This record gives sequence, structure tokens and C-alpha cells, in this order.
Amino acid sequence: METEQLEIRCDDCGATLTMPAHRFAAVCPFCASPSVVDRPAGESSARREPPDFILGFVIDRAEAERRVKAWIGRSRFFAPSALKQAKVHSVEGIYLPVWLYGCIAHSQYEARIGEDYTTTESYTTTDSKGRTVHRTRTVTKTEWRELSGTHASYVLDVLVTASKGLDNAELETIEPFDLRAMRRYDPAIVSGWAAEEATLSRDEGHELARSEALEFIEDRIEDFLPGDSSSLQHFDSRLSSEDTDLVLLPIWVFAARYGPNAESLRILINGQTGEVQGKVPRSIVKIVAGSLLGLLAVALIFLLGLFALGVIGSFL
Amino acid sequence: MTQRAVCSRCESPLEAGDLRCAICGRAAEEHARSVARASIQVLRCESCGAAVSYDAKVGAPNCSFCDSVMRLEELVDPVEQTEGYAPFRVTRDEARAALAAWLKRQGFFRPADLAQRARLESIKAIYWVAWVCDARAYVTWTADSNEGAWRSAWAPHSGAVQLAFDDVLVSASRGLREEEVRALAPYVDLKAVAAEPSVLSDGTPVALETFDVQRSGARRRIVSAIHRSAAHVVERDHVPGTRFREVHTSALLESLETRRLALPAWVFAYRYEDRLYRAVVSGGDARGITGKLPFSLARLFLVIGAVILAGLAALTLLPILLRFFLG
Ligand SMILES: [Zn+2]
Ligand SMILES: [Zn+2]
Ligand SMILES: [Zn+2]
Repeated sequence: METEQLEIRCDDCGATLTMPAHRFAAVCPFCASPSVVDRPAGESSARREPPDFILGFVIDRAEAERRVKAWIGRSRFFAPSALKQAKVHSVEGIYLPVWLYGCIAHSQYEARIGEDYTTTESYTTTDSKGRTVHRTRTVTKTEWRELSGTHASYVLDVLVTASKGLDNAELETIEPFDLRAMRRYDPAIVSGWAAEEATLSRDEGHELARSEALEFIEDRIEDFLPGDSSSLQHFDSRLSSEDTDLVLLPIWVFAARYGPNAESLRILINGQTGEVQGKVPRSIVKIVAGSLLGLLAVALIFLLGLFALGVIGSFL
Repeated sequence: MTQRAVCSRCESPLEAGDLRCAICGRAAEEHARSVARASIQVLRCESCGAAVSYDAKVGAPNCSFCDSVMRLEELVDPVEQTEGYAPFRVTRDEARAALAAWLKRQGFFRPADLAQRARLESIKAIYWVAWVCDARAYVTWTADSNEGAWRSAWAPHSGAVQLAFDDVLVSASRGLREEEVRALAPYVDLKAVAAEPSVLSDGTPVALETFDVQRSGARRRIVSAIHRSAAHVVERDHVPGTRFREVHTSALLESLETRRLALPAWVFAYRYEDRLYRAVVSGGDARGITGKLPFSLARLFLVIGAVILAGLAALTLLPILLRFFLG
């Protein structure tokens, strides 16, 4: 095999990527840091555990670039001028490794269930003539009852990041992915694209996924409770038949840095659905200018309002 | 019986080409792990030898030099295929007789001359399609019921029950309406399912409806139908008391087996006073019969009139009665 594949390791964000040599840039495609070490991909990547599944790209490069430009256009005002002028040429298609978790969950829960009832109560008030009178009215009250029981369900399709370069919170911003289009991993699908290596171990992924699964189960149990109102007091889940599979997800990444100490900008695009998410480092000067402009506008509207009132008043 | 792959988590049979179990999501056992063992490598075009890369537009690896597309293993989501046919046991004449008897039996709100004046326009023999499923389910549930209520009319209850479902019929038919399927379902005879459709002795051609749903869509419908059946059984047999509300279920489906069957029916179109009506007779058992019926407005008005009269009578009588009793 020729050395047309390079392995890149970024010291800043911790990402390790395998990418075709012709796509190689001197900065990390994830965080635009120049602190990258590269070497021909070889033994080390061959020894790694292969992914189980892969989701192919649907959004192509031209479409990804168009969406990045549109996104920058929308968040234009507060962005540093450098970004506005930036050419969107470094959009990189990357297969992101994630752990796909599933299990059977048996849970015990204890909850308080509120059942409403109506009753009449008497009260004292003063009538129109100022006399003290006794009246009755109908009120809705809630009686609280204890309920304990079991809840069983499958937990499917919990996705957590397997990459140190991109944390779970950021992954969630571009979810969901339609996993029905998943295929068994085949190197032919990755060919010509950058793929990140899993840098979070299966055990770390498993832990992360478990806690996400428990949050999911808690929501399900809360929806499961009867009554007019309810509050889940406690639940305890036994997770069995657990699986953690390695999946490659398609994402487009646009990363840029303006100045050596500047915060890095990263825009992510879901390579399947085209969902765009990103955080623009905001220019302080512009934020201040923006707020001032806003204040000015409010003052102007206020003055106009006063003026209008004056005009109307003069007609009356 | 041939060896079938079964999901190791929920014991539901897997279909050829399934990547994951449709019920519980567990990855299917892989046959050729060797393919995936290979590390990421540069692929060469088989036509011109240039480096090939996966093309998002094409959804497959594509050579940018000679434009040839490499075939990947297809995504498997085939359109469902009929696996068996329940036999026609009701002849054309028997079906006609069943229709005539049924028209005669209809109730008060139907026109009195319905059975005499209904004119048959067409009789068709059809096979309609349905999934027939067996499954086990561990069902956990909660509900409010009147049992054990204090001041409120409702008290909360919870429970868990192991249920078995046999021959749950889920319609895949576009031709038959949901209420028609409900009426025919109890008369479906699954004992003599054959590999081939019946050939009718009187030569009536049998129209075959086909499944036009893909596997993934079919499973969604089947799974939600089983969940509905589970909720129904819980309401009927397990929630205590005589009234209930807020019934919630969460179920673990296991060993879900599905047969894709074609079921026989006679479809009648008949005309009454210039309007067309449809009736369907099960082809397996003529007791299964359902249809849209003409409605006699005259009779409806008669009843409404009677009700109003009774009301008026009560209103006029009431003061008299009150005076009588209260003196
Ligand atoms: Zn980096
Ligand atoms: Zn399963
Ligand atoms: Zn070629």
C-alpha cells in the first residue's frame, strides 16, 4: 500500500485522524490548531479495532460549503470581520467515531400520584352592602397517593462520542442521525475521506452511554405515571444485555482561528441531514457597539412615541 | 425446518440482510468479519486504476476520472412479499347468498325494501394482505381506576404481566378499510395456508393485492399494533375496578414472528337508489361479512319526531303531575 493515507494527531484537541494525503492541511481539521503531528498511516491504524457500522455522507462538499456560508451570513453582525471575509475552503468531511449503546432496562420506581377531586368549602366575605356573609364555593383539591411498581423497556440508539476532539454536548447539537440508513462498516465507504480514530475507550463510552440511558429511562418513567399530576421519588434500574458498538457518523467540519490566541471557531454540519450548528467567537467591540445601537433605537422609538402622542393630543 | 438466525437479546427471528434486530436494536451476528478487519485503505478503480473515493451524491464509491461507480452491498429494505395464501372456502354462490341474508337482517334504520331493491353491480374475488404475528411480551403498566379510591374518583395502580399473543392480525391492505378488516379478522382461517393462491372452480379470476410496504415500515406498524393489543389486554383483564383512565404500558416484546399472508374475500358492489355500496364477505367463512349500508332518512326522522313528541308530552304533563302529587 502506498502512503496515500496520513495519520494526524492534534496536540490541542486530542483528535487522531486518518485522512487521504491530498486533503492534508497543516492545521487540525477539528480545531484549526497548527500543532499537528503527521505520519504515514500504517501499522498502528491497522491494529485498531474496526468500526461495526457506518452511516454514509448524503450532503456533499458543495452543499456543505453553501450551508456554512449561509450560517456565517446569518450570524454576521457580531462575528469578527476576519470571519466575514474568510473563504470557506477548508470544510472537511470527517467520519466521527461514536459509541452506539443499547440494553434491556428493568426499573423499580416509587412515586407520588396526585388525584384531583372537587369539594365545597364555606367562606366568609362582605357583600355589596358591607355586611359579613357566609358562602360556599367549589374548589379542586389534590390528594397524594403512593405508587410503586416496575417499568420495563428496551433502550435503543443511545449515541455518545468516542472522540476526544468533540464532546457529547457538541455532538447532541447536530443529532439526530437516522440510523436506519446504517450499513455494516466497509472500508470502501471511508475511502477518500478523513476518519477519526476512537480516542475514548469502549469502557469510557459505556459509562457515558449508561448515564445517558438512565436519563432517558427517568423521562420514560415520568411519562408512564398515572394521575392528574405525579412526581417520581426514586427509581432503580437494572440494565442487562448491554451492547456498545462502534459507529462512524458523517459530519462536515469548518474550523478556523483568527489570531494565535483567539478562540477557535467550529461549525459542524450533520453529513446526513445538513443540520448546521456552531459558535462564533464574538468580537467585543462589536458587541458593545451593538448594544449602544440597540439603546439608541429604543430611545428613538420612545421619542417618536411621545411625538405621536403630542400630535394626537393637539387634534383632540 | 431450516436454521434461522434469532436475535440473541429478544429471540425474535432475523430476516436475511438485517443489520440490527428491529425489535430491540441489537446488532445481528456478523457473517464475514474479515471485510471489516481491513484498515482504511485507498481503493483503486477497477476500470482505470485511479484512486476512488466515496461520493455523497451517488451514495457509493465513485471514480472521478472515468465516472464508474463501485457497487456496495445494497441497503436491505425490500418490499414485503406474500408468503402464503389462506384458501377460498366460500363459493361465489354462497357469498351471494350470505350477502342477501345479511341485507335482509339489517336493522330498523335501513330502508324496508333494501333486500329486494339492492341491485348487484359486481362480484370480485380478491386476496387482501395482512401480517399475522405471534409474540411474547412482558408488559408493565400503570392506570387510574375507581378501585380503592378515596375522596377523588381515581386511585393509582400498577402491575406487570407476561402475555402471549397468537395470530394477531395487522392489516397491510390498501383496498380494505380498517373497520372492514376488524369485522373480517375473527373469521380468518389460518390452518390451511397454502404456498399458492386458490384457483376457483367456477373460473372467477382472483385479484392479488400485494404488500407495498418496505420491511422497516412494516415492522413499525406491526410493533405498534402489538403494543396496542397489549394495552387492550391490560385494560380488559388487569386493571382492577370497573372504570379506568390514564392507562400506560411499557412492554418488552420477545420472539416476534411475522407471517405475510394473503387472505381471501368476496367484494360486492351493489346499487340502491342510484348509489353504490360495498360489502365484503370473508372467502374463508361466510359468517364474516361487513359493508356500508344505505340509511333510511325517513325512518330516522320518524324516530326523532317520536322523541320530540315524547319530550313535549312530558313537558305538558309535568305541571299536571306535579300539581297532582304536591297538591
Ligand atoms: Zn485539533
Ligand atoms: Zn432483538
Ligand atoms: Zn476509473
